[in-house]
Amino acid sequence: MRIVLSMIGSRLIQLVVMVLVLSFVTFLLMKITPGDPIRAILKVDDVITTTAEEEKLREEYGFDQPILIQYSRWLLGIVQFDLGESLIANKPVLDMIMGRLPASIALATGGLVVLFLISVPLGVLGAVYEGRWPDYISRWFALVGASIPRFWLGLLLIYFFSLKLNLLPVMGNGTLAHFILPSITLGVAMAPLYIRLLRERLISTLQSSYIEAAKARGLRKERILIFHALRGSLVPLITMFGLSIGSLLGGITVIEILFSWPGMGELIVQGVMQRDYPVIQGYILIVGFLVVITNLIVDLLYLVINPQIKQGKEVV
Amino acid sequence: MEVTVIKKARLLHNPSMVFGMILTIFLAGIIFVGGAFVPYSPFEINMGNRLQGASSVHWFGTDQLGRDVFARMVYGAQLTIGLGVFAIVMALCIGVPIGLLSGYIGGKIDAFFMRMIDGVLAFPDFILAIAIAGMLGPSLTNLIIAIVLVRWIVYARVVRGLVLAEKEKEYVLVSKVSYSSTFKTIRMHLLPQVMPDIIVMAAIDIGKVILLISAFSYIGLGAQPPIPEWGAMLNDGRAYFQVVPSLMIYPGLAIMLTVLCCNLLGDGLKSYFDIRKGRDYL
Amino acid sequence: MREPVISIQNLLIESSIGQKTILNKVNLEVAKGEIVGLIGESGSGKSITARVLLGLLPSGMNVRGQIFFQNENLLTMSAKEHRKLLGKEIGVIFQDYRGSFTPFIKIGKQMAETIRTHHVVSKKEAKNISLQVLEEMGLDSKRVYSSYPFQLSGGQVQRAAIAIALALKPSLLICDEVTTALDVMSGEKVLDYIDHIRKETGCAVLMITHDLMQAYKRTDHIYVMHQGKIVEEGDPEQIRCYHQHPYTKKLCSCLLSLPGENNLVVNERVNSI
Repeated sequence: MRIVLSMIGSRLIQLVVMVLVLSFVTFLLMKITPGDPIRAILKVDDVITTTAEEEKLREEYGFDQPILIQYSRWLLGIVQFDLGESLIANKPVLDMIMGRLPASIALATGGLVVLFLISVPLGVLGAVYEGRWPDYISRWFALVGASIPRFWLGLLLIYFFSLKLNLLPVMGNGTLAHFILPSITLGVAMAPLYIRLLRERLISTLQSSYIEAAKARGLRKERILIFHALRGSLVPLITMFGLSIGSLLGGITVIEILFSWPGMGELIVQGVMQRDYPVIQGYILIVGFLVVITNLIVDLLYLVINPQIKQGKEVV
Repeated sequence: MEVTVIKKARLLHNPSMVFGMILTIFLAGIIFVGGAFVPYSPFEINMGNRLQGASSVHWFGTDQLGRDVFARMVYGAQLTIGLGVFAIVMALCIGVPIGLLSGYIGGKIDAFFMRMIDGVLAFPDFILAIAIAGMLGPSLTNLIIAIVLVRWIVYARVVRGLVLAEKEKEYVLVSKVSYSSTFKTIRMHLLPQVMPDIIVMAAIDIGKVILLISAFSYIGLGAQPPIPEWGAMLNDGRAYFQVVPSLMIYPGLAIMLTVLCCNLLGDGLKSYFDIRKGRDYL
Repeated sequence: MREPVISIQNLLIESSIGQKTILNKVNLEVAKGEIVGLIGESGSGKSITARVLLGLLPSGMNVRGQIFFQNENLLTMSAKEHRKLLGKEIGVIFQDYRGSFTPFIKIGKQMAETIRTHHVVSKKEAKNISLQVLEEMGLDSKRVYSSYPFQLSGGQVQRAAIAIALALKPSLLICDEVTTALDVMSGEKVLDYIDHIRKETGCAVLMITHDLMQAYKRTDHIYVMHQGKIVEEGDPEQIRCYHQHPYTKKLCSCLLSLPGENNLVVNERVNSI
């Protein structure tokens, strides 16, 4: 129990540090950039304004205050779960992001399923047939997969499956069919890293003495592979997942734009284009939160997978 | 002499390296002499000549504004690859010296600094770039600034880690004890040790940066039209893919080959350095 | 007459890279109820001999000769047939007790898994058999059964490894340096158990060791291996007092140069009983 508490504690500290540093940097950048959010709003509203009106708006949004005051106001808001209001939509940022979150999580889940379905078989094939042709297939898949731009992969999939073969809808969401292409794109784009990692880990696990001992007990090859070797090799994959949850959230953005998927990615890209600062800052905060929470879950998963940690022992 | 011969032979015996070199030569050819074959400007609009297929005049056809796709591809190669290399070189120039110094001198400031960095680095490139580009405003220049701002931290951290491991080894201690200057110790002993890892990282990162730039341009936060960056070209021609698929095929293929080239070179160099350092090559 | 359980005839192993001879014309026999020692320094080829019997040779090895196990040639049978013998007819205990069990699976589960691989029995029966053999090894059977390997001491894990190797009453038990990683007390205990099991079930034991003293005390017959060759064989008395090969001589003289050790080990043994 003490371990669990200390895990939660250290992750919370990480969250606070991350949020403080990042939000301060973004505030600073906002202050020193030549662009002006008020002008951006006015441009959107497409009205001709006077300097006086501009000043009035500036005051209304608090942009005339010194940066430290603005910053501490924002921080005070966060503590009360208030991320401010969008400059463009005039809606609370938190509501906007929360409205988008389920779609993004759904897509991420779909991508993870595809990722698992691709990377485990290819990683296993590569390790079991090391140096033979299934290994070459697995390695080339990983290499090409790491080189292909994910939005282009999505475009190709749309082109073949939707336009040429007419099998799946192009864009939008709602049905399972809408779900397939974005999930495949995301899964394939993430797979190379996991294939390589699983392959390398599995190769070294298969040479370990406990696998030899299992063979000497006459266990079937498949059984040794699945129950003895694979399970031990999955631990680094889970670590990897914790580390790459951030890049998953980033990578999902492009795919959401490509497939017009109504997730957080679409929101943030709009926010950036319209220079809607509260939305951008809110987004960073939420992503940071998700990253930390995922890593905490990964920490806790270790306890389940590797019983040694529960005993407070060092992991070999 | 014999030893060097064996090493050289190994560098070219590595299939990744060979493929990577072939691609590099091919891409370098396009960047440096490709322009000679293009009589058109990549920006010249000719509405009377829109969406043409490939012909002896327009090798890759023309786009929705009648611009020569081949000319745009060649210009795009110079731009995309040039920017990728530029961003990484800039990040290296800032990150490596700071990492070397920070690791070599150490102390509390170093430790505090690194903790902050660890917190920030839990964030992926993409989100940080979005944050910075979002604050500075979407443009290709701001995107490059964002990339350099994020990347130098990564290099500083890696180099610092390598230095910390290397610093305790005897030859560095000897150099320190023999009253060599800090600068000389770093330059003579530490830099050569960390270079191989940095070169491998940089090769792979150029590919990553090119992917990032093209993705940003595709979603409209990077290069803006009419700049013929490959990702921006894909964004530009989105509406016409069904009619002229080649508008989609060429830029995407170009990005893929370029990044593949970087990954192959990175892999090849890694196993080359691993063998040379006598590490086990997995 | 002696009835060989395993008979290695003219075994020749070469690595295909570099054409290095690893085993050269090895002849070796272990009869029912016998403990045979295979001694030699590390790298002499004794572990490779064990690995051939288990079909665990690394790839890139050329193997010639015959290995008869209960009158069937192990080298010509299919991998599947060979696998079916392992764990059931041929049990093995390794030097590295930490590597005997998969670290994140409970010992009991691994034992039951082995039993169910070779016999069609219910989970409950498999558990009962496992508990029984653990009990016979002098272990707190219930606790060991539901423990992870890292929760037990080295000696306990090694005894559990013996239990799993003996659970299916094999006709041949291969012990590869079983005491090296244990302290003297636990090592002696383990050897006593092996001796006891041999008497009880009449299985043949091939004891691979570099410890000459141990071989003298525990075996009925000794093979001395040097650089992939059997350089000398005979009963312990013969090897000790009437050895001929210079390598054996060297081994024995090493032993004699440490006069204290002999008494010490004997004392240890007395204490442990």
